Amino acid sequence: MEDVQIVNSLVRRCVAGDAVAWEEIVQRYNRRIYNICYRFAGTSDDAQDLTQEVFIKMYRTLSSYDVERGAFMTWVTTMTRNLLVDHFRKTKQDRVTDSIDAAPSEHEDAMPLSDQIEDKALPPDARVQSRETGEAVHEALQKLSPELREAVILRDLQDMDYREIAAVLKVPEGTVKSRINRGRAELARLLQRIYRQVM
Amino acid sequence: MPGETHNGMQCKEFEELLFDALDQNLTQAKKDRFEAHARACNKCGPMLAEVEAGQHWLKSLQEVEPPANLVKNILASTSGIESRRLDLAASAEEPSLLERIREWADPFLTPVWSTVRQPRFAMSFGMAFFSLSVALSVAGVKPSDIKQADLSRNGLRRTYYTTTARVVKYYENIRLVYEIESRVQEFKKATTPAESAPKEREKNRKNDTSGQPEPRQERNYSRDENQPVLASLPDRTPAVSVTTTRRFV
Repeated sequence: MEDVQIVNSLVRRCVAGDAVAWEEIVQRYNRRIYNICYRFAGTSDDAQDLTQEVFIKMYRTLSSYDVERGAFMTWVTTMTRNLLVDHFRKTKQDRVTDSIDAAPSEHEDAMPLSDQIEDKALPPDARVQSRETGEAVHEALQKLSPELREAVILRDLQDMDYREIAAVLKVPEGTVKSRINRGRAELARLLQRIYRQVM
Repeated sequence: MPGETHNGMQCKEFEELLFDALDQNLTQAKKDRFEAHARACNKCGPMLAEVEAGQHWLKSLQEVEPPANLVKNILASTSGIESRRLDLAASAEEPSLLERIREWADPFLTPVWSTVRQPRFAMSFGMAFFSLSVALSVAGVKPSDIKQADLSRNGLRRTYYTTTARVVKYYENIRLVYEIESRVQEFKKATTPAESAPKEREKNRKNDTSGQPEPRQERNYSRDENQPVLASLPDRTPAVSVTTTRRFV
């Protein structure tokens, strides 16, 4: 759990020009931000670049952080999410995946999403191998729409509560819950199809 | 779906309770109604199963480790200051020169050290040290005489030349002594030619075949007492007088 007093002190020192405080902030948050970026962007290289961008932006705008307006973690996550969305728009990977069998958009291949994943079918013993299972889940996660993906990442991977997620995504809590529901169900359907065919 | 009712619960209410149910926050009564609706509704039941499965899959994902140089890159691109903590960690991980030498020498030193720790070796070493100290004290060498200057390059060179000069001088002296001695012997031989040498007398004695024993060879310790005496008695037996002394009590 975030120690508010320590973090606020670090931010104050950093704004005052203390390089050690800035290093402490980087040490504290680089792992979390990198994981969000990795799960959202999909590749380690993109995640590394995006994490670096987040910290560059944070370094430049740290003085604008208002302690009274919310937790530092929420502020950092919002910044990360905004950069991820910008990155997604720039790379034109955005897609709508409300249904896995929906007609593919102009940026997608001709095959449905489930078929795209099936092309990289895992070997029969993959179900008992956690590493390969993790890769399959990570791959399926990339097939979700960015709205559903960011919602499930913040909830199920970063353990944020609905109120914090709503603050980061700037949507009502009900919408957050709905997106999380749909994201989980969509992911399960994708993975069930994969393993049904493998079996 | 929202309009359908099963077990006294509408699908919309089921959906609202879904998160509390997944977070285990439902009361027992609500939980019973929720589960009953999931069993009865052919839409909400599969949806619940899918959401639970998706949550399970997501929770199975492990946190990934950031690249090792990420923090360094971030600091370089922001504050431009190298991470002292990383440098310290790197230096802590890197073994020092002493540790590397120890690691290299351990296979050789370990058996030697186990031998050195034996009491027998300690005793031998003590005796050697004692002998050396005695020898040094006899030779007149004192540890206090050894100054630091003697261990310098010039000091060592001076010591070397001094020692060499001493050895050469000692050798020359010995040679002179022997030379003088040999000259004296030659001079003696030249001045006394008439005297027969002791060796000549010895030679004459060896050539004597008269059978007379040497005066000093009267006792033969190898003979037994019971061994018969083969030598004959002389013609005139010596008069033997026996004196008995009685002791009267």
